Amino acid sequence: MEEKNNIAIADESGDKYKYGFVTDIEADTVSAGLNADVIRLISHKKGEPDWLLEWRLKAFEFWCGMKEPSWAKLKYDKIDYQSLSYYSAPKQKVAPKSLSEVDKTLLETYDKLGIPLKEQEVLAGVVAVDAVFDSVSVATTYRAKLAEKGVIFCSISEAVREHPDLVQKYLGSVVPYTDNFFACLNSAVFTDGSFVYIPRGVKCPMELSTYFRINAKNTGQFERTLIIADDDSYVSYLEGCTAPQRDENQLHAAIVEIVVLNNAEVKYSTVQNWYPGDKDGKGGVYNFVTKRAACRGENAKVSWTQVETGSAITWKYPSCVLQGDNSSGEFYSVAITNNRQQADTGTKMIHIGKNTTSKIISKGISAGFSNQTYRGLVKVTPGADNARNYTQCDSLLIGTTCGSHTVPYIENRNKTAQLEHEATTSKISDEQLFYCRQRGIGEEEAVSLIVNGFCKEVMQHLPMEFAIEAAKLINISLEGSVG
Amino acid sequence: MNTLLSDIKLVGDELPWLKEYRAAGRREFARQGIPTAKTEAWKYTKPNRFLSTDFVFDPRGNNKFTVPAVNLPFAAHKLYFENGVFLSCDDDLPSGVEILPLIEALMFRPGVKNKLGALADMTKYPFAALNAACLNEGAYIHIKAGTRLEKPLALISHVTVVDRAELYNLHHIVEIDENATAEVVEYYGYTGAPKSSYLVNIVNEITVAAGASLRHYKFQDEAFKAGHLALNTVKVAAGGLYKSFCLQKGADLARNETQVCLAEENAAAEVDAAYKMNGWATIDTTTDIEHLKSGTTSSQLIKGVVGGQAKGVFQGKIHIAPDAVKTEGYQLHKAMLLSDEAEIDVKPELEIFADDVKCSHGAACGRLDAEQLFYLRSRGIPKIEAEQMLINAYLNDVMAKVDNENIRSWIKLSLGSNLPA
Repeated sequence: MEEKNNIAIADESGDKYKYGFVTDIEADTVSAGLNADVIRLISHKKGEPDWLLEWRLKAFEFWCGMKEPSWAKLKYDKIDYQSLSYYSAPKQKVAPKSLSEVDKTLLETYDKLGIPLKEQEVLAGVVAVDAVFDSVSVATTYRAKLAEKGVIFCSISEAVREHPDLVQKYLGSVVPYTDNFFACLNSAVFTDGSFVYIPRGVKCPMELSTYFRINAKNTGQFERTLIIADDDSYVSYLEGCTAPQRDENQLHAAIVEIVVLNNAEVKYSTVQNWYPGDKDGKGGVYNFVTKRAACRGENAKVSWTQVETGSAITWKYPSCVLQGDNSSGEFYSVAITNNRQQADTGTKMIHIGKNTTSKIISKGISAGFSNQTYRGLVKVTPGADNARNYTQCDSLLIGTTCGSHTVPYIENRNKTAQLEHEATTSKISDEQLFYCRQRGIGEEEAVSLIVNGFCKEVMQHLPMEFAIEAAKLINISLEGSVG
Repeated sequence: MNTLLSDIKLVGDELPWLKEYRAAGRREFARQGIPTAKTEAWKYTKPNRFLSTDFVFDPRGNNKFTVPAVNLPFAAHKLYFENGVFLSCDDDLPSGVEILPLIEALMFRPGVKNKLGALADMTKYPFAALNAACLNEGAYIHIKAGTRLEKPLALISHVTVVDRAELYNLHHIVEIDENATAEVVEYYGYTGAPKSSYLVNIVNEITVAAGASLRHYKFQDEAFKAGHLALNTVKVAAGGLYKSFCLQKGADLARNETQVCLAEENAAAEVDAAYKMNGWATIDTTTDIEHLKSGTTSSQLIKGVVGGQAKGVFQGKIHIAPDAVKTEGYQLHKAMLLSDEAEIDVKPELEIFADDVKCSHGAACGRLDAEQLFYLRSRGIPKIEAEQMLINAYLNDVMAKVDNENIRSWIKLSLGSNLPA
C-alpha cells in the first residue's frame, strides 16, 4: 500500500508558474483505485468514528449511481476515477505537537510558497494559517491565541476527534452528499480541510487562512472546509492554492460549507492559482469545487470574493442560501483564463427569507485560446418578500481566438422582488490603449493597467495581502497574451 | 400524442422524397419525444402536459371550411387558414409576389424542395420533427427581386373550436429576394367555446436575400386552453434586414421561438416581443441570434406583464462566431409581476468567440410602482383603470418598435384591458 514518492522536478520550459516545483518528501500514498475498502482505509488512517465512515460509505454508494455532469461549457478527456490515488500524506513518524516538530522539508516548501507558518515571523497583519499538503493538514498556526477567544481553528480531522458534536451537526447540512457528482465524491473520500467555529459574539481577532498544496503525483485532492459563525460573530477567511507543474492532469474536488447564524458575518476570499497547464494545454489541475453558504439566521451576511487565475478547468459556483430574514449575500469574482484554460464559474443566490439582498459582480477576462463562462442563478421563492438582487457581469476579450460566455438564470416567484441584471462583453478599447501608449507605457504594461482597472471593483473587496498578490497574479496570467 | 405517429394519408405522398421527409419527421419525433424539464431548452416551459392529451391530426376531417370572419383594421393581402387548412388567398396580388399552397409549390416549383427543412433542423427541435411528420398545409410566399410591397401580407390563422382536441400543423416558406421589401403579419385567433383544447404547431422558414428587408409582425390570441408552438427560422444575407415583433396574449402554453442566422456581412436583425397574460398560462419567448460574419448587428427588446398564476419565460441567446468582428448585439428583457403567484423565469445567454464586439444584455424584474399608482388614484382614477394605464404605458416602448402605424394601433388596441391585477 505504501510507495515512495521521489519525482524529479517537471520540465520547466516556458515556466511562468513559479509554484511549479515538487517537494521531494516521503509520502504515505494509498494505491490507485476507488472502492469501499479504500474509503474504509482512509477512515481508518484518520481514526474516524463509525458515524463518519457510514456517512462516507453512503455517499460512495450514491456516487456509484451518479453520472458526471456535462452541462458546463467545458471540454476535457474523461476522468478515470479508478486511476487516481485518494490518499497521500507526508510521512511522519510521530504526530507533531508543535511547529518545531513538523518536517523541515515541509516547512521549507511553505517558505518557498511565501506562506508564513513560523509564528514569530509574522508581521503586523496577523494571519492564522492551516496548511494542507496533499491529503492532510500539516500545521495550523496561532491556535493558542485563537483559543483564548474561544475560536476553534483546526484541521477537520482534528475537529472530528475534538468537537464531534459540532461536526456531526453541521457536516453535510449545507452541501449534502446527494448534491452533485463532485460533492458526492468528496463526501466519500475527503481527506482533510479546515474547520472553523466562531463562538457567539466573537469577532475573530485575526484573519484565518488555509493554504492548499497538491504535491504527490496521480493523487486527487479532496478537502472539505466547514465554517460555523455563531450569533453576532465575524470572521474573515482566506484560501490559497498551488500545485506542482506536471504533465498529467490533477483532480481537485473540494467542498466549502459555511453556516452563518443570527447577525453573524463571514467573508470568504479565495485566490485560486492551481497549475493551469502549459501553453498547449498539457497538464494542469481540474478544479471541481462546491462552495455554499447558508445564511440561517436573521441579518446574517456572507460575502464570497474570488480571484481565479489557475487550473486547466474550473467548475465552481460559490452560492448563498439566504434563509434568514434580512440576510444578505455578495459575490465578487475576477476570473482570468489564458492559453487553453477553461472556466465555467459563477454563483447562485437563493432568496428564501424576507428582505434578503444579494449582489453579484463578476469580471471575466479571456485571452489566448481560453474559454470562459459566467453561469449564475438568482432565484426568488414565493415567500421572499422584498428580495433585491443586482447583478453585473462584464467580460473582456483579448485576442480573436478566445471565447467568453454568459448564462445567467433568473427565476422570480415573488412580485415584490426587484431584480436587475446587466452583462457586457467588449475588448480593451483602442482609445484607452492609445492613451497609455502615448504616455510611454509599453503595450503589455498598458494592458495590465487597464485590466487592473477593469477588476478594481472586485479587488477592493480582498484583504490587503491578498489584493497585492492577486494584482501580481493577474499580470503573470496575462503575460504573452498581447502583441 | 403517440397516435399522431401512425400513418396518415397526406397530399403528395406519391412523391417518394416527400413521403420519406414525413417518415423522417415521425422517426425524429419518436426519437426525441416531448421535451421534459430536464431538456435544457425547455427547462421552464414544460410541454409534457401535452402527453396527457391525445390530439387528433385529421387535416381534412369534419371541419366546415368557410373563410373565417376576421377583420383586420388595416389594408392587407389576406391569406386565410381555417383549422390548419389553407383556404384562400386574395387574388389581387401585385406583380413580383407569388403565393402558393406549400405542397403545390413543393410539387410544381423546382427549387422550393431544397428550402424545405433547410433552416428548421428537425433533429434538434422535436416540434419541428412533428411538423415535418404532419407536413400537409402551409404557404409558399415568394417576393421577387426589387419588389416593394405596399400592403402587408396577412396570414390569418383561425380556429373554430371543435369538440375534440385537434392538432393544426402549418409550415410556411417565405423567400424575399434581392432588394425586395415586404411586411408579413401573422394573426392567430379562434371562435367557439374557449375551453376546448387544441394545439397549433407552426414552422416558418424565412430567407432574406442581400439588401432585402422583411418586417414580420405576429399577434397570438389563441383560446386559453390551447397550445401554440411556433418556430421561426430566419437566414439573412449581406445587408439584409429582418425585423420582427410578436405579441402573445392567448393560449395555455405558448412558445414563440425565433432563430436568426446573420449569415453574411452587415446583415441585421431586430427581434422584439411583448407578452401579457394571467390565468394559468405559460408564455415563452425564445430567441437565438447567430452572428456569423463581421458588421452584423442585432437588437432585442422583450417586455412582459404577468398576473394570476401565469408564468412568463424568456430565453435569449446571442452567439458571435470567431470571425464576426465589428458586430453588435443588444438584448433587454423586462418583466412585471402583478400577483403573488405569478412567475418569471429568464435565461439570457451570450456566447462570444470574437474580441472586437459590443454585446450586452440586461434583465429586470419588478412590479407596479406604488408611487405611480398613488399619483393616478389621487387624481380620482379608479384602481383598476390606473393599473391598466400603467401596464399599457409599461409596454408602450416595445409597441413603438412596430414601424407600420396601422399595424401598431391594431396591436395596441388588441392588447386590450382584460387584465385584472
